[in-house]
Amino acid sequence: MSFYENTLVTKQDLPESELEKIKEKYTDIINNNSGKVIKIEKWGLLNLAKKIKRYKKGFYIHYKFEGNKETLDEMTKKIKIDSSIIRHLIVKYKKLDVKNEYFKKE
Amino acid sequence: MKRKGKKFKKKGTSSLNKLSLFQKSEGRFNKTCPFSVKNAPIIDYKNIALLKKYITENNKVLSSKITAVSSGKQKKLTREIKKAKILGLI
Repeated sequence: MSFYENTLVTKQDLPESELEKIKEKYTDIINNNSGKVIKIEKWGLLNLAKKIKRYKKGFYIHYKFEGNKETLDEMTKKIKIDSSIIRHLIVKYKKLDVKNEYFKKE
Repeated sequence: MKRKGKKFKKKGTSSLNKLSLFQKSEGRFNKTCPFSVKNAPIIDYKNIALLKKYITENNKVLSSKITAVSSGKQKKLTREIKKAKILGLI
């Protein structure tokens, strides 16, 4: 069980309810496949440095979770199918620092 | 006795001596690495405020010759910058 950080960049023109559904969907995936969500951060709508698939803005959802290989396989499979996510990045960490909030809305 | 090596060495040091005699030693030579001090900022792909200091305006990574970053930290820095670029943060 090692620690992972997963960031999802979704399309900009999604309604709020859709975003909520995406968030719930991936938390369920993690929890069902022997994983444990530690923290979820919503970085909100940020404009991208470069155009990704004709989009200039992207909604960022950030997960900090603990899991094993099985959760990762399930996760990446679902992300590839999901058309509303334009980019994702999963990073493995030995230990997670939970307290730093770089994108907190002051 | 071959003195070729010795002559070669002398030339290097004398130019530096001349430099330090007449002016305060130029700041760039004894700059310390900003990341190996006591409570240095954490190099992380989320910490884009810090990463922005180490890239040029057309998003190229600055060389450690200019920013005086130690080589281990420079490697970490470039990896984090590339992760931030993948996500479109930088």
